Amino acid sequence: MEKVKSIGIDAGSTTLKIVGVEEEGKILFSVIEDADPKIEEQTDKLLGELRNNYDIENSKIVATGYGSNLIKADKKVTEITCHAKGIYEYFKTGGTAVDIGGQDNKVILISKNGKVVDFIMNDKCASGTGRFLENTSWRLKISTEKMAELAISSDNEVKISSTCAVFAESEVISQLSRGQKLEHVIKGLHRAMVKRITSMVYAIGFNPPLMLSGGVAKNKAVAQMLEEELGEKPLIPENPQIMGAFGAALIGLSE
Amino acid sequence: MLHIDIPSRKEVIEKAKSEGKKIAAIYPIHYPRELFRSFNIQPIEVWGPPKTDTKKANAHLQSYICSVVQSGLAFYLEKQLDIADIIAVPHSCDSLQGLGSIFKDFINPKHELITIYLPREKNKENVEFLSNELKRIYKQLSEFCGFSPSSEKLMEEIKKEEEIDEIVDKLYRIRENLPLSSRGFYAILRSREYLSPDEFKSKLEYILLHASKGRLKKTGVVFSGLLPEPMEIFDIIDEMDCFVAMDDMACCMRRVYGKGNSDDPFERMAERIVNGPPDPTKGNSFNERFGFLKSLIEISGAKGIVFYNVKFCEPEYFYHPILKEKLSKAGIKSLIIETDINEPISQQTITRIKAFTEMLRENEQ
Repeated sequence: MEKVKSIGIDAGSTTLKIVGVEEEGKILFSVIEDADPKIEEQTDKLLGELRNNYDIENSKIVATGYGSNLIKADKKVTEITCHAKGIYEYFKTGGTAVDIGGQDNKVILISKNGKVVDFIMNDKCASGTGRFLENTSWRLKISTEKMAELAISSDNEVKISSTCAVFAESEVISQLSRGQKLEHVIKGLHRAMVKRITSMVYAIGFNPPLMLSGGVAKNKAVAQMLEEELGEKPLIPENPQIMGAFGAALIGLSE
Repeated sequence: MLHIDIPSRKEVIEKAKSEGKKIAAIYPIHYPRELFRSFNIQPIEVWGPPKTDTKKANAHLQSYICSVVQSGLAFYLEKQLDIADIIAVPHSCDSLQGLGSIFKDFINPKHELITIYLPREKNKENVEFLSNELKRIYKQLSEFCGFSPSSEKLMEEIKKEEEIDEIVDKLYRIRENLPLSSRGFYAILRSREYLSPDEFKSKLEYILLHASKGRLKKTGVVFSGLLPEPMEIFDIIDEMDCFVAMDDMACCMRRVYGKGNSDDPFERMAERIVNGPPDPTKGNSFNERFGFLKSLIEISGAKGIVFYNVKFCEPEYFYHPILKEKLSKAGIKSLIIETDINEPISQQTITRIKAFTEMLRENEQ
């Protein structure tokens, strides 16, 4: 069985991510599941399953995310530090990391030597987060992946004026009932979300390259529009959703 | 860690009443404690209080009024200030000025109502203005209390406050030698909002006795804003192996005044307030505020500043963008948190504070 030196657990608001690394920081495994409210039990179950294939008896465990307080870990670190660490080690460069999660966004300025220089988070408002798209996805019964495809293929867009995740949903319905094409409305919805993220990037001071992490980074429409808005093609890891857990695991290596 | 018992506001009020003192409920921020004390009046400050149900007050106030004023009015409307004889409202900002008008024009309290007009900038004319304003209040209090304290009595009370300010200043400078958590330290400093000067001074002297030579091996931050409510915010900072090394808070450091020069008690009280530390409600320049914050960092060895702003506090928010830019250029990291004194601390706030302290410590290495 392969020996796992460190495990990072990112207990986010919508998904639970677990990453194991060997002593050089190479990823040995990664697991992603929808977050269960009983996060402690869910984590124990997943770690139990991993024991069948990996030697994790002496692994350091570092937890991050909103559910981290419920997890038994050697260390707890914020998502900001973990995402910065994960994304810096993945791309080996400083710059501006944008983590678009299920319920919050973080823009992190990372120095050339991988340290967090400054950061900004959304507060009291889910505008521009994954939930912004998910609300409409549920309402229209179209997957977020399909919505992204529609947005990319659309040759036009309807301006969605609301940046509120709840009001945007009703505005989408209102636009459709006025006869606007679905793909135009969906593209407008993505644009509203991306503009919210862009304003956060400018608020902190954009320093290229742009690096994306979090589940929403897999949405090609969001990535494309961020490039349009910021004039910089974003770097996206192969699996952007695990960057926080990866960073946590790397922090465990230095413990 | 040192433990110091602090009586509650209620206990202090009951004791003061039993000693025949009058009670003045005083809204934020600046006022001369010594003026009230010379009339045998116990000033009890009303900073909210936090976690108040504000629905009754909301009927009188616009939705963009801060939670400190909302709670302050709600507290009155819930008859929690009935025990007071006097209500004093310094015109610290538009919202507090509005509160004074609401009391005067719509509520007509049975209490003696005192408004305090505060000048803004540091200059001779403003000392003269405030000196005259304090004479007006002295006259109002004389009529209300039925006697007029002598100049000697006023000077005696002024000197007590000056002495306390000096000790508080000393404690700030040796903060990292004090065996107190952030919450413990500020619970004591904030008891000045209602304790008698003698009782407050005895607590400060007790802390001084326990100052050690060893320093707290923790990362310091400067805490800026109106007030640290909920006080649990300090526990989050301490949990991260950090501590509040210095502050720029309206309820604390911004009211640690220097000694006055004048032999005239009114002028001396005015000098102390007008020449006090920079304060957003006093309209100090950006450079004065930046210089002051920078000096707090230098004195305390703190690594960053947390701006803990009460939502809708216009004076605080007015300064923030320029201060953030100036601090950043000077290599000083800062974080802004928006708070409402009636709400619990959100998870987002906890994450931000923790991430900020992680960033400061990482950059220390």
